[in-house]
Amino acid sequence: MEFLGYERPDGSAGIRNYVLVIPGGLLAAKICDFVEGTRTILTADSGSGRTGRDRETVARTLIGLGRNPNVASVIVHSSSPGAGYPELRPSRIAEEIARSGKRVELIDVAEEGNTFRALEKGVQLAREMVRQASMLRRQPFDLDHLAVGVKCGASDTTSGIAGNPVIGNLFDRIVEAGGTAFFGENTEIIGAEHVLARRGVNERASKRILEVAEETEERAKATGEDIRTINPVPANIAGGLSTLEEKSLGAIHKSGSAPIQGVLNYAERPGGKGLYFVDNWMSATSIFAGYAASGAELVIYQLGGGGSRGNDLLHPTTAVVSPLMWTTANPKTLAMARTSIDFYSGTVIEGEETIEEAGGRLLQTVLEIASGTLTRVETIRHTDPTQIYLKDTPF
Amino acid sequence: MPARGALMLSEKDNVATAVEEIKQGAEVPVRLGREVRHVRALEEIPFGFKVAVADIAKGAPVVKYGESIGVASVDIEKGRRVHIHNLAGARGRGDLAKGGP
Repeated sequence: MEFLGYERPDGSAGIRNYVLVIPGGLLAAKICDFVEGTRTILTADSGSGRTGRDRETVARTLIGLGRNPNVASVIVHSSSPGAGYPELRPSRIAEEIARSGKRVELIDVAEEGNTFRALEKGVQLAREMVRQASMLRRQPFDLDHLAVGVKCGASDTTSGIAGNPVIGNLFDRIVEAGGTAFFGENTEIIGAEHVLARRGVNERASKRILEVAEETEERAKATGEDIRTINPVPANIAGGLSTLEEKSLGAIHKSGSAPIQGVLNYAERPGGKGLYFVDNWMSATSIFAGYAASGAELVIYQLGGGGSRGNDLLHPTTAVVSPLMWTTANPKTLAMARTSIDFYSGTVIEGEETIEEAGGRLLQTVLEIASGTLTRVETIRHTDPTQIYLKDTPF
Repeated sequence: MPARGALMLSEKDNVATAVEEIKQGAEVPVRLGREVRHVRALEEIPFGFKVAVADIAKGAPVVKYGESIGVASVDIEKGRRVHIHNLAGARGRGDLAKGGP
């Protein structure tokens, strides 16, 4: 089981080969407008007016994206409202990314004299860097070099019966081969946390899973609202799902059956390989960038879609540097969004394939994408803004 | 084999998920692995929705995946559609916490 990837100095393997410009904002956006092969994060979450814990999350996200194996090299600039905080100093971000051995360049606007001079320097630097990156050739890597993250969304009853279990089978195969897999969505383990906690690799992992469920449920109760008016979302209910417990029990099937190594914070990099639960927010505008910052080279959106109508172009990605692939097990959803969906597992419901067989087929699709085949939505040049998952009140 | 009837996911389950559009009065084949049993649908069960495969008393757990997905908010007859009108979640209920003890 091999894929063709780009070797990085820290021994990891990228499945794409970008130059990343961070933080987001005008300077980064304009450099990326000019230069092919670049990426930047589009977000209003600069860290300004945020608690130390939240500023550290913003920093961890930027550093993690920079260290992602899909990134060949990085430009860090000083033009951001958060840049004055110690956690978010450009030199700190640059140093932490450079520890991976990859090339990092700093642009200090004050040193350049003004923004337009900094832009000129950035454009010329980025042009040179993408050209340098393009000289690298793909080479074969084992599956132990792959890290993937998954979210299930607009879940319906096909998600729990087929869509998620087939993703779970893929996860088992990747983890078994020594790779890394992330799943998360802290609201959606409520009602299923006891099942997940049994899979903790040690007592600490099990305890953390229960704690995340408890913290999330306490926060939900503190709102004074019935969580059913928030989650399950209306599309879930229209798709046949009734309660949060039912949604959660179906949702956790996407994690497969491997032992859970531990619980990570949003954008936190794991200490080793294997399966990890991430304490993150379910929103597609947030979760994928977090997985990419944790090191995922590919992210998967397992779509139910039973409650959706007429949405054929599914949104491309918010993972910034990692391609997004869409899967579904719902035949109506496939018919609705055939031009966006890369993999269909409704065959399991139709009795044409077992979960095991569909999982094997999914792995082949993943290896092709990892080797350079574009996902269907990757052909669209559009990036939705990222909401970095911050937990504290802004001031 | 075309998809027909409804699927149970654990033998502990008292609901099954429809994998076709089920009409009122239909004898529904309910599959659990290789085993097939039959339940008469007392009402229409749309694709993806759940049908009770046993009588479920008000207050008793509704079981899917072998785990509780909430409690019956009214008595549910075998063959009835089970959804938010007769099944209530028990978790994350801020509305109950407010007036609760």
